[in-house]
Amino acid sequence: MQVQGMGVTTRAEPLFGSLEFAPRRPNWTAFLPYLLALPIVVYEAVFIVYPIFLGLRSSFYQQPLGGAERWVGFANYGRMLGDAGFWAVMRTTLVYMLAVVVVAVGFGLFAALVLNRQFRGRTFARGLMTVPWAFPDVPTVLIFLWMLNPNFGVMNVFAGFLPWIEQNPTWLLDQRLAFFSVVLVTAWKGFPFYSLVILAALQSVPADLVEAARVDGASPRQAFFAVTLPVISPTLLLLTVLASIYSFKQFTIIWLLTGGGPVGATETIAIRIYNTAFRFYDFSYAGVLGVAGFILALSVALIFLAIQRRQEREVS
Amino acid sequence: MANFPIPSTDSSTRWSRPRIARAVKSVAFGLLALVVCVVTVFPIYWMIVTTLRPTSLNLRYPPAVLPSQIDLTAFTQLFAEEAIGRWIFNSTLLALMATAICVGLTILGAYALSLLRWRGRGPFAIFLLMTQMLPEALIIVPIFAIYRSVTERGIPLRESLPGLALIDAAFILPIGIWILKNMFDSVPREVREAALVDGAGPFRVLFQIVLPLTRPGLVAVGVVAFFYAWNEYLFAQTMITRADIKPASVGLASMITMLDTPIERLLAAGLVFAILPVVFYALMQRYIVAGITAGAVKG
Repeated sequence: MQVQGMGVTTRAEPLFGSLEFAPRRPNWTAFLPYLLALPIVVYEAVFIVYPIFLGLRSSFYQQPLGGAERWVGFANYGRMLGDAGFWAVMRTTLVYMLAVVVVAVGFGLFAALVLNRQFRGRTFARGLMTVPWAFPDVPTVLIFLWMLNPNFGVMNVFAGFLPWIEQNPTWLLDQRLAFFSVVLVTAWKGFPFYSLVILAALQSVPADLVEAARVDGASPRQAFFAVTLPVISPTLLLLTVLASIYSFKQFTIIWLLTGGGPVGATETIAIRIYNTAFRFYDFSYAGVLGVAGFILALSVALIFLAIQRRQEREVS
Repeated sequence: MANFPIPSTDSSTRWSRPRIARAVKSVAFGLLALVVCVVTVFPIYWMIVTTLRPTSLNLRYPPAVLPSQIDLTAFTQLFAEEAIGRWIFNSTLLALMATAICVGLTILGAYALSLLRWRGRGPFAIFLLMTQMLPEALIIVPIFAIYRSVTERGIPLRESLPGLALIDAAFILPIGIWILKNMFDSVPREVREAALVDGAGPFRVLFQIVLPLTRPGLVAVGVVAFFYAWNEYLFAQTMITRADIKPASVGLASMITMLDTPIERLLAAGLVFAILPVVFYALMQRYIVAGITAGAVKG
């Protein structure tokens, strides 16, 4: 029941398709799966696919405030591609995603390796991992706004341990520090889940193999790279993709910590879309930005599917 | 404990060289474990300590690491002076509605994905994965426009908790299906086949055999759905501005901008809001982690 998912194919067999056990049952069971899936497909179509379609449509129109919409072809796209602000937002989004993936998965791996050893209080330490994972976004932001307060925040105390820091940093008001803080908060919220997943994957590392490697004179590091890492690397790959999706979707943490500022230093595409629509009321431009974001999301999803296919093939 | 290891050149004594090396190693390892735990829980610890101190002690720099006294006025004032009771009530209502929609549809989807073999199964799985990866911010603008025009035609979706629950459920549904499918997969085939031989129909197999065996999975789906809606901020603050139906996530965020709110009261509100999800996620952790990763891997 642990994460045996990593590549083990499902055992479910044709059950109502062949019907060898119940020959007299009417043929409607052949349609059963479609009947079951239909409400879900319709639901998701109404609340997700149709809005995407509307967003795509709005990207070809210009809608002046209070006026009727007007077909403008690719004019909005031209405006976006020529907009230096758009490229800055794309860059911020990608750097933010990369930074969160590296910090969250990296620290998650470190924590998992530490918690995988036998020591007293290990169960308790693992239990602690659930706390940041389950902590909702809004209170998470409340804590960090307080900890990063330039006058009274406890992070100033920690920063003070660094030799080159002479006065309290203005955490969220400095462009670089704000970006750093936002990445740190996002990663803090994300890493425990990755850690729990890696811990589960570490259970499938054959202990006798590690033992054998050690007996043969491998150092702990060599044993890690030769035995442990190959076993958990599909998991790490998967988590890299999950972390990219997680950071790409992130809105609440960034929005409430910095609102995208200062001077756009933390403005990812999610924040930019929101600002464009609900601060500047430029709905058609928000539509184009949405399409750009959708293309980015789709490419991450496709990379993900490709990885998944490859892993499935390797198993079977 | 009291005897500090005294290095000795004589390897036959208690504190031989490899022994010291091992002791140093285990201390180093203990430090690493400590670092992991501190990074994980320090922010929460700090939140709790802050709520237990009066403002005068919180607005002091450098701050004391330990609470010198335990002062619960932040919590009593929170319930006396803020609308938090109302917010929590609204959030509960919202989350219950989203959970009901989600659990109902999840059973259907998990059944189709796990126990049946059909042509559309692969595309259906990919469709679910795709919707799961979509950022909420990408559809907030069009969905806002849809809700506005539907509301103008007399069906109140904007400024309504059921309307909000409908979108929340759409976003949590795919993950719910993965969690339950993963549980369904673990039901032995023989059990289902035996029921079929006895002449049970597909729905009897589902409701009388499979679901009773996978109750924790269903609970896990409920927990995930409930707290997605409970925590959700983006849709909630875009769709709901009326004070009387504000959910807690929006209410809490609005406290940030009220500069006169004392910090310990603000954090007390955050703590009250966070307790339920932490408790329930801790209880259902096993199923949720396995379900999310299995969903992401198997497809």
